[in-house]
Amino acid sequence: MSVPLTANHKSLQCHRWDGVLDWAQMLSGAGLIAFMWMHMTLVASVVLSPSIMNAIAEFFEATGMAQVGGPLVFLLFLAHFALAARKIPFRLEGQKTIWEHAKLLHHTDTWLWVVQVVSAMIILVMGAIHMWVVLSDLPITALKSAARIQSGAWIFFYLLLLPLVELHVGIGLYRIAVKWGFVQRSGRKGLKRGENLLTLVFITIGLLTLVRFWFLKG
Amino acid sequence: MARSLKFNIFRYNPQDPESTPHMESFVLEETDSMTLFIVLNRIREEQDPSLQFDFCCRAGICGSCGMVVNGRPSLACHTKTKELPDEITLLPLPVFQLVGDLSVDTGSWFRELYDTVESWIHTKKEFDPKAQEERMENEVAEAIYELDRCVECGCCVAACGTARLRPDFLGAAGLNRVGRFLIDPRDERTEQDYYQIIGNDMGIFGCMGLLACEDVCPKHMPLQDQLGFLRKKMGITALKTFFKK
Repeated sequence: MSVPLTANHKSLQCHRWDGVLDWAQMLSGAGLIAFMWMHMTLVASVVLSPSIMNAIAEFFEATGMAQVGGPLVFLLFLAHFALAARKIPFRLEGQKTIWEHAKLLHHTDTWLWVVQVVSAMIILVMGAIHMWVVLSDLPITALKSAARIQSGAWIFFYLLLLPLVELHVGIGLYRIAVKWGFVQRSGRKGLKRGENLLTLVFITIGLLTLVRFWFLKG
Repeated sequence: MARSLKFNIFRYNPQDPESTPHMESFVLEETDSMTLFIVLNRIREEQDPSLQFDFCCRAGICGSCGMVVNGRPSLACHTKTKELPDEITLLPLPVFQLVGDLSVDTGSWFRELYDTVESWIHTKKEFDPKAQEERMENEVAEAIYELDRCVECGCCVAACGTARLRPDFLGAAGLNRVGRFLIDPRDERTEQDYYQIIGNDMGIFGCMGLLACEDVCPKHMPLQDQLGFLRKKMGITALKTFFKK
């Protein structure tokens, strides 16, 4: 018989951090999902007209949201990485185990997790570069963004970053919904279909935005 | 015409110092309603009497024939060959200690697990053998029964990414077991008590939500819903505890 550490005793106060950190991981992720979709939608306004995008950018700068909100989003981005990284195997041994496991199992959701982890590592570097380049050269204008995308290898940079972010964000939302029981067994299939569709829609919006920037001349 | 099936089977006897882990192939002709239970018994009877594997009930009740069938943990007695391709690979379940070939020791693992989660009704009431059994609502009894259907085959644990990465993880079977006592009105443990057991990364917060457990469970246990319920419940307990002090 094990020692009754918990049973029938006055509730023992325990202050383990795992539960709080799990909340923080989920909420930071949900916050970043909301931000990413809003960000994509607002930048995509350039497809309608560069002056709309300029007006939106001006609004965010005039209210100080870009100057304050930008670095805050960057902090949230780093915090989310640190929180989620608690579950990522950083040692080769663990990486080999999970890779072999995914290959053996032929299970979509397990592969989606691998996609989430790999995309996270790339987004950490590329997202940081993107934020630095944009926030260190305020104000944001459609022409400046277009000039950047038309110079050097920036188009390839964004052609890689865009699908990785949208995949990560889409899978992340699906994962939060099923992991926290917001969507039950009966709704899982529909959720996944909706999620795939939403990811595709945002990748398409992003591609259209990149095409617009590519052809936008001053 | 009957298909000729090729079975690639993992062979290794840890008791034999000369044995090394390897794959061995056997060929059998498919028969009507053939299951992997029939296949393995025929191989043992007709081709190699040293082949080790576990069986008991042949009906998906005892949970002893869990193995990895073409990558998926499943019960061999439940698996019909007609649902499989011509070439079938059989491996022992990972995570559990290997007894030999396809046989693993799930018993010790579950025994330790049930000690950890204190898998029994905790009550201060003294047991009166002459008294009538305490009554409970039919709905509650059915909900408990639903979670009690687990046959402890270990398929959910073998399919779990977290369990593969950290050996102390309770797995869906363990968490489901706790959930069963959580809804039992006879168990007097409080949420804080349960939080002590599963409110950590070894328990519910270690689950990464890959849901392979849900997808491979041969008994179709409601594991997704159960894990979600426990995460929410323990998450709220975590916040209550955090803000109390």
